[in-house]
Amino acid sequence: MAEVHVIGQIVGASGFSESSLFCKWGIHTGAAWKLLSGVREGQTQVDTPQIGDMAYWSHPIDLHFATKGLQGWPRLHFQVWSQDSFGRCQLAGYGFCHVPSSPGTHQLACPTWRPLGSWREQLARAFVGGGPQLLHGDTIYSGADRYRLHTAAGGTVHLEISLLLRNFDRYGVEC
Amino acid sequence: MATASPSVFLLMVNGQVESAQFPEYDDLYCKYCFVYGQDWAPTAGLEEGISQITSKSQDMRQVLVWNFPIDVTFKSTNPYGWPQIVLSVYGPDVFGNDVVRGYGAVHVPFSPGRHKRTIPMFVPESTSKMQKFTSWFTGRRPEYTDPKVVAQGEGREDENTEAEIPRSTWVCLCPIPALMLSFCPQ
Repeated sequence: MAEVHVIGQIVGASGFSESSLFCKWGIHTGAAWKLLSGVREGQTQVDTPQIGDMAYWSHPIDLHFATKGLQGWPRLHFQVWSQDSFGRCQLAGYGFCHVPSSPGTHQLACPTWRPLGSWREQLARAFVGGGPQLLHGDTIYSGADRYRLHTAAGGTVHLEISLLLRNFDRYGVEC
Repeated sequence: MATASPSVFLLMVNGQVESAQFPEYDDLYCKYCFVYGQDWAPTAGLEEGISQITSKSQDMRQVLVWNFPIDVTFKSTNPYGWPQIVLSVYGPDVFGNDVVRGYGAVHVPFSPGRHKRTIPMFVPESTSKMQKFTSWFTGRRPEYTDPKVVAQGEGREDENTEAEIPRSTWVCLCPIPALMLSFCPQ
């Protein structure tokens, strides 16, 4: 079986209008992929920038997959939330990016979006907080049913991911 | 096909903690340690260290220079658990107590050659204003009992950190000649 190591960090996020951000991340793969070591999802700490607007998490990611096919190449997906001083959480953005397919170290910048609701919901969000969220998390990384959404841009999640591939040449895949 | 026996590879890290920029603090020292998975073991060098105390330069750069050497070699059979270096920076507060000024962690570079990395630092935040005041007053700030927690992904949900108060620059020159030899045995 071919093996893939995804090792790196979720460095942080920038460009969000809210401060005090945290990120729930996960990795989605196709049916032919098997996770040998590592955790498939997690949540970073809440970080409040003191200087500048970038929130830094430095959250480590270390995953070891075995696969029999290229279909369903891993995708990292994120939900960025902000937390206010009362401890309430509000969605700041959803985003996803594919794990790179060439070995080496990559700097990734993943843009995010959040669902807008009706004008009533937008007004409520401005005053009271809250706002619409996705019921099914898989819309973040899949294209189906996206046409139903009306969204606004959020900030950017920055990642540094390194990829190590093993045994791909045995299956005739050049990398 | 016969199963291949695990192949051992070596990872040699040579470098230094070069300098830092902390706009609000002075007279700092740093500690480094490595966090790695179960399949890894250090074979040579020191996996922990404490640097000297350094003061800011008087010029415009306002930089704190340690130039603190890191020299360690790991051996492993599996890239899972790739070593991370965890840095903790400490300094005196107004009353003279030694308090933590920042934690940061980054993976050791993956490819041979020279790499320069700047890592952001963060400190845990007190949960309430009262606690914030008491910790400022007594000098007992929230601190991790084991800095290695910074390199782990699990259990971070309940933490609040004060972002990178300062953007600490950590520059590490890491030539790694003996890396990933014959990772795929036939």
